[in-house]
Amino acid sequence: MVAKVMQIILSPVLALVVGVFFLGLARKIMARIHWRYGPPLVQPVIDMIRLFYQKSVSHGSVFDLGLILSLAGSIVVVLFLPFGQMCPLSNSGGLLVILYIMLLAPLGLALSGGQGANPNISIGISRKLILSLGYEVPLLLVLLAVMTHYKTISIIEVVKIQQSTGWSIISFPLFLSGLSYFLILPAILGIRPFDISSALQEISSGPIVEYGGKYLALVTIEHAFALFISIALFVNLFLGGGANPLIFFAKMLVVFVLGLCINAVFPRFRIEQAIKYLWKWPTLLAFLGLIITLM
Amino acid sequence: MSLEILLIIAFGGALLTYLLGKTSEKIRDFLAVVISLSLVAFVACLYSKSLEKTFYFGFFGLGLVLRLNMFSWLFAITIAVVGALSIIFSLSYIRAREKTDFYFLMMLLVNAAMLGIVLAGDLVSFYIFWEIMSWSAFLLISYNRGPALAAGMKYIIMSIIGSVSFLVGMLSLYVSFGTLNITQIAPVITSASSGYILFILIAFSIAFGIKNAVLPFHTWLPDAHSEAPAPFSAVLSGILIKMGTYGFLLILYVIVGLKLFLSLGSGIFSFHSVLCFLGAVTIIIPTFIAMLQTDAKRLLAWSTVGQAGYIILAIAFGTNLALAGGIFHFFNHALFKALLFLAIGAVEFRTQTRDLDSLGGLAKKMPIVFIATLVGVCALIGVPLTSGFVSKWLIYKTLILEASPFLAFFALAGTWGTILYSYKLIHNVFLGQLPEKYKDIRKSPFSMQLPMIVLSLAILVFGILPGIPLKVINAIGISFGFESLNVTLWGIASETGTLNTINIFSAVVVAALLIWVLFRLSAKSVPVAQDDSYAAGAHTPVDKYNYTAEFYNPLYRMIKPFLRDVIDEFYYWIGSSMQTLSDRVRRVYAGDVGYYVMYIILFLAFLIFVQLKWKPW
Repeated sequence: MVAKVMQIILSPVLALVVGVFFLGLARKIMARIHWRYGPPLVQPVIDMIRLFYQKSVSHGSVFDLGLILSLAGSIVVVLFLPFGQMCPLSNSGGLLVILYIMLLAPLGLALSGGQGANPNISIGISRKLILSLGYEVPLLLVLLAVMTHYKTISIIEVVKIQQSTGWSIISFPLFLSGLSYFLILPAILGIRPFDISSALQEISSGPIVEYGGKYLALVTIEHAFALFISIALFVNLFLGGGANPLIFFAKMLVVFVLGLCINAVFPRFRIEQAIKYLWKWPTLLAFLGLIITLM
Repeated sequence: MSLEILLIIAFGGALLTYLLGKTSEKIRDFLAVVISLSLVAFVACLYSKSLEKTFYFGFFGLGLVLRLNMFSWLFAITIAVVGALSIIFSLSYIRAREKTDFYFLMMLLVNAAMLGIVLAGDLVSFYIFWEIMSWSAFLLISYNRGPALAAGMKYIIMSIIGSVSFLVGMLSLYVSFGTLNITQIAPVITSASSGYILFILIAFSIAFGIKNAVLPFHTWLPDAHSEAPAPFSAVLSGILIKMGTYGFLLILYVIVGLKLFLSLGSGIFSFHSVLCFLGAVTIIIPTFIAMLQTDAKRLLAWSTVGQAGYIILAIAFGTNLALAGGIFHFFNHALFKALLFLAIGAVEFRTQTRDLDSLGGLAKKMPIVFIATLVGVCALIGVPLTSGFVSKWLIYKTLILEASPFLAFFALAGTWGTILYSYKLIHNVFLGQLPEKYKDIRKSPFSMQLPMIVLSLAILVFGILPGIPLKVINAIGISFGFESLNVTLWGIASETGTLNTINIFSAVVVAALLIWVLFRLSAKSVPVAQDDSYAAGAHTPVDKYNYTAEFYNPLYRMIKPFLRDVIDEFYYWIGSSMQTLSDRVRRVYAGDVGYYVMYIILFLAFLIFVQLKWKPW
């Protein structure tokens, strides 16, 4: 019981530390690829602490509560994700529940942004929702292939089976699904070729344009969690999870840096181009993976 | 307490309300509410009773039977509750309109007829109540005149086709088995050939499919739902189309039976997989069409078609989890779609419009309606902690575990489409900037808020404690011959993935509280006016300065070519060619005696020719 409570407290904290570290690392790596020096690794932490002490504006109660709901949703998803041997709540619903609680975060942000009454926000959210419809199609096919292959909807089971039979990214039919997941990962994370919804130069960062002070700090934390969740899901489903949290985070780091390097050099897509890309190659691969899994 | 008294209260009350309405409006309103609430109480008292009673013998020697069991009770209580709430909502909604007595008569009559349908124990009384329901629904859909007349006409034509199909199936059953009592047909139908059963199933599926708006029989629904008065849209979408679901359950599981139904045909050509496929298509296409609507009620109407697809898919899939998910989703959909239609009705009542492009920012002006819509939309998407999540979880889980990932894909992808149109609905009506002309808008009257509050609470309670309805649903499943589910108060336990809603609920609440504390502890925020927003240095216009029109324009441009409603066009083509054909036929009757003499002579000549040539006589 005590161990369980410890895990429940510890896992969001660990996730936050790793997520914020990734945020800092992303800026550093991007800077190096662009031949700049870049900010120090702890810059996001410094910014966040500063932001909590700064003044901000509020557009109403939905504006506040939506953001809180969004962050709460992300924290709960972390509780449902196993990493290493830590899986505080992952036996109460499995992958389907994770898939659904992952909704709370974007939904909360969208509600909060909607109250902001700024056209940049509305355009950003509209783009974000279209983009998510775009990547959900291959993502669902991938998840269904995994669940059908292992005949379970429990994510712990998926990790357990992989630890005895080997990673699913190197097993034959799921190789295609894994590749497809990797191809859509930047879209899920909303980074470079797919940073359509938060395009700085077009719509002034989109959904977060009205946020300042603590709002901006909270939304950065939410972003760190989102980063953690989508990579952790990949590691759990395709790279066999981890025997302990350290190995797990090492695997996450590799995936993240790989994704970053590939995508740091691309220019931004337009929304139609993004959808066309997402519904072409990743979907095709995921579809093939599912068909072969079924046969 | 017997079932005839229930129906007498329902039908008699409707007439009495109409007659008293001629004397005083106050008495009429009071009576309508009392009658609908007493029906709720009456049905609630009948919980877990099992009754069967023949109340009339004279119909060509056939007994008219009323019966009640868990299956019909669940439908009856849903009808009674949604019906009562929509009557309460109507009180202020309809007050300033014409022919209000007639409106209340029809509303009560529809409810009474639907109660009759679910309590009918034989197909003849089922058919009688079915027709009363169809016709009174037609009159209510056309209540607003104008385009509503055309919508009502479309509805009643399709409804009549369904009734005819029902009649064909019913008569055929009578000829084969000599009885129309549901409990008596069920044991003897197993001896029939599988071809005959298929014929019966198809005949009834057309009837119920039209009511339940399964593709390709959905075309009446968007017009009818958007043109009807809002409280009736709630009834129409919440429960009336679910009479089709009831019919499907009745014919598939009570009359034909589980084993026989699953064994018809083989592979992908079996009746069961064709119906599953139709359900999946019914989820996906209407969902995409819903995204592109600009009329709030039309958007909800298309969403109804899509959600009905989930129910059909689950019912046709035929496992105990799927059936539980399907029936639970029927129940949830009755709650949340009634809620959403009422909420949009409340907005329309104050703003006189439901155009998604011109509304906005009403969250601050109508907070209760906003929260109700939010709860309804969350249940529609299936966000955890609302009851919609549990039913969808059951459906997905069984689809995945039974190795039907493509059906599961349709169901899950439909949910993502649902998110898009739901957000569009809530953003364009309640969020964003408040237009200048709605500045002084008042809150909705209490009689409108009350039904919305009740429905929202029900959705949240059944989302956190899904065991309450699932217990009833489990009993229904067992009576259909399924294995029992391991239902607890807060979810479903099983060896392949346990659902525990209490865990999810407490985790979200605790996390939100912690963040809220952090939020309060950090530096305070300053409230600002809605037009005080960051525009990157650009000038901000005074009035509406927001992005709502063509909300998903990039997507719209991409998918529009694929989303023509071909089926509707096809029906219109049949309609217009029938008209042309009839027009040609009409010309035969020229009105001139000379022509008729000519027809007679030609016909005689033809007969003589036939006789001379082949000598058949």
